Amino acid sequence: MSIVELHNIRKVYDNKVAVEGLTLSIEPGTMFGLLGPNGSGKTSSIRMMIGMTMPDSGTVSLFGQPFTREALSRVGYLPEERGLYKKMKVMDQLIFLGRLHGLSEGTARARSLAWCERIEITEAIGKKTEELSKGMQQKIQFIAALLHDPELVIMDEPMSGLDPVNAALLQQTLIDLRKEGKAILFSTHRMDQVEKMCDEIALISRGKLMLSGSMREVKAGYPRNRLQVAFTGDGSFIRHPGVADVKVEAGVAEITLRDEAAAQQILADALAHGTVITRFEVLEPTLEEIFIETVGGQADA
Amino acid sequence: MHSSSLQNIWLVARREYLERVRAKSFLVMTILIPALMGTLVLGSALINRSLGSASHLAIVTDDAQFATNLQTEMISGDGAKPKLDVYSPSEPGIRAQLDAQLKAKDGTLDGYLVATPPSPASPRGAYEWVPKSKADVITKARIEDGIRGALTRETLARSGMGAAEVNSLLAPIQLKTDSSGGGSGAAFGSAYGMFFLMYFVILFYGMNVARSIIEEKTSRVFEVLLATMKPSDMLAGKVIGVGAVGLTQVGIWIALAVAAVESQLVGSNVHILPSAGQAALFVVFFLLGYLLYSSIAAALGAMTNSEQELQQMQIFLMLPLISCTVVIFNVVTNPDGPIAKIFSFIPFTTPLIMYTRVIVGKPGALAVGGSIVEMAVTIAIVLWFASRIYRVGILMYGKKPNLPEIVRWLKYS
Repeated sequence: MSIVELHNIRKVYDNKVAVEGLTLSIEPGTMFGLLGPNGSGKTSSIRMMIGMTMPDSGTVSLFGQPFTREALSRVGYLPEERGLYKKMKVMDQLIFLGRLHGLSEGTARARSLAWCERIEITEAIGKKTEELSKGMQQKIQFIAALLHDPELVIMDEPMSGLDPVNAALLQQTLIDLRKEGKAILFSTHRMDQVEKMCDEIALISRGKLMLSGSMREVKAGYPRNRLQVAFTGDGSFIRHPGVADVKVEAGVAEITLRDEAAAQQILADALAHGTVITRFEVLEPTLEEIFIETVGGQADA
Repeated sequence: MHSSSLQNIWLVARREYLERVRAKSFLVMTILIPALMGTLVLGSALINRSLGSASHLAIVTDDAQFATNLQTEMISGDGAKPKLDVYSPSEPGIRAQLDAQLKAKDGTLDGYLVATPPSPASPRGAYEWVPKSKADVITKARIEDGIRGALTRETLARSGMGAAEVNSLLAPIQLKTDSSGGGSGAAFGSAYGMFFLMYFVILFYGMNVARSIIEEKTSRVFEVLLATMKPSDMLAGKVIGVGAVGLTQVGIWIALAVAAVESQLVGSNVHILPSAGQAALFVVFFLLGYLLYSSIAAALGAMTNSEQELQQMQIFLMLPLISCTVVIFNVVTNPDGPIAKIFSFIPFTTPLIMYTRVIVGKPGALAVGGSIVEMAVTIAIVLWFASRIYRVGILMYGKKPNLPEIVRWLKYS
């Protein structure tokens, strides 16, 4: 049973197509990365997933059922921009949001306290939101999304505005939640986070799905055509016919290959010339490169 | 489904209510508004008392009879009864002495009159009034009336009428006002007071709904709330919560007013207190007016992105209320006249004008009931539009929508 299933959804605002023919599914226990440039339709897609807006066509299923509002009590949502009442005390706020998700006041209070301890923000409990730093507000928002123990966690840019220590703390929390079998979808621009954390990704641009699948599948679609060689001595191997482009700096050659198969020939060539190789690595395409390559051509609009 | 919807409305209303009632501004307003109104009422009463209360006057005249007659005139009637000193012009330096008294900082003299009674040379006599303050037009008018009265007395006496007859002829007429007709001065004061109170609470709490929507919009709280509840539940909860705060405040004021009258803090001749029926209708018309205006305010709030933008739109909310203040004088003086009738049936002005008519006029149960029904229907229609604009508007950031866009919003859903 898929936790989320979007089938061929389309949404048009006024004259702008926000999402077009988007199909994707998220399985339990998956960390799913939703990627795309600004204005590509990420937030629009998320909003349709949780019934904030309705698709013009196509279907949305949650937990194997066509969308109903009841399913929302099993979903936790962290919006892209922080949504907290500025003048309200943190604990009152968490209890209010917890109760809206169907918790009793006592349960909401107990869980809020437990979460505040877990992500190290107990000092904020008695304060008003406006007295907190941006990072602290972010953590409170994070708790608010998780208070009712949702099976599906949707987070729009969860790490933005956090220092590295807190970002790592929340990343680890998300990883723990996935271990508990929850499905987690988050959108981000930070490709390094996606690469580290996600099992599956979908890349959308201008409302259309460009790429999707497991990290391995996505990367397999791109050639492993970059080579990094640290060497001393004879550098004539860089003139091998398989080299399309090269840049040598401080004894490290960054080579782009015409063909994946050329890597071994270049290594052999270098060894034959007596070059001392201290490191030889065929690089996987990074997600960032894939992103730029996929989206770059259309980044005008 | 239905019960969770009600539960959500209740939670939103409760939050809205508690946050507002706990805020310091609520306490300040609750105390400040009656204090201001009390100051106004007391202040105007004091001013009325002190106006024309120039309490110490002097007459410089040769004619003892004229002086006596003027004295009689000045101390008769409703107003303050001044002390009158009579001097003869033959006293040496009398005017310089009186002038000095007027200028003296601690002097009690408020003005003096130099009167040369009628003679064959000047048939109407010559009078010169020297006041302490030229702005004191009320004392001047009383002096003029007094002189006219004194001359009348003299003429009547000369034509052979007895003093008792003259007195009874010129005694001020006691014009009693039947307050059951609803036209007494106290009812007027009460009507104006309640009118502005109603104006204030409807506008204030209507705008509070708009402000609270903008707050949730700018802080993006909506995004979190919409992930669990329907926009219509959010709107309902908000309107109920803010309205309950308004009712609480009005309730506190009514309780304060009752307590003040019970404890005789306010003199019994100050009839600012409405009857129980009027108080009940105040609540009814406040609720209707609040619902109508807060629905419009909700739509305005959802359309705009900041307090500043809201201020520009606020005029739509205020125009009908302002039109009420334009006609209110007419309505109070002629509560069952055509203008009063028309405005009490325009839904946007009904709460203010019909309520004023209830206090000063006799609109009849049918008219009052009819206006309530008419308002209820209008509220239903306005709410329908407002909730549609609200539900699209709260997710729209950026530029303010133009009219065709708003029409398109109405079609969404």
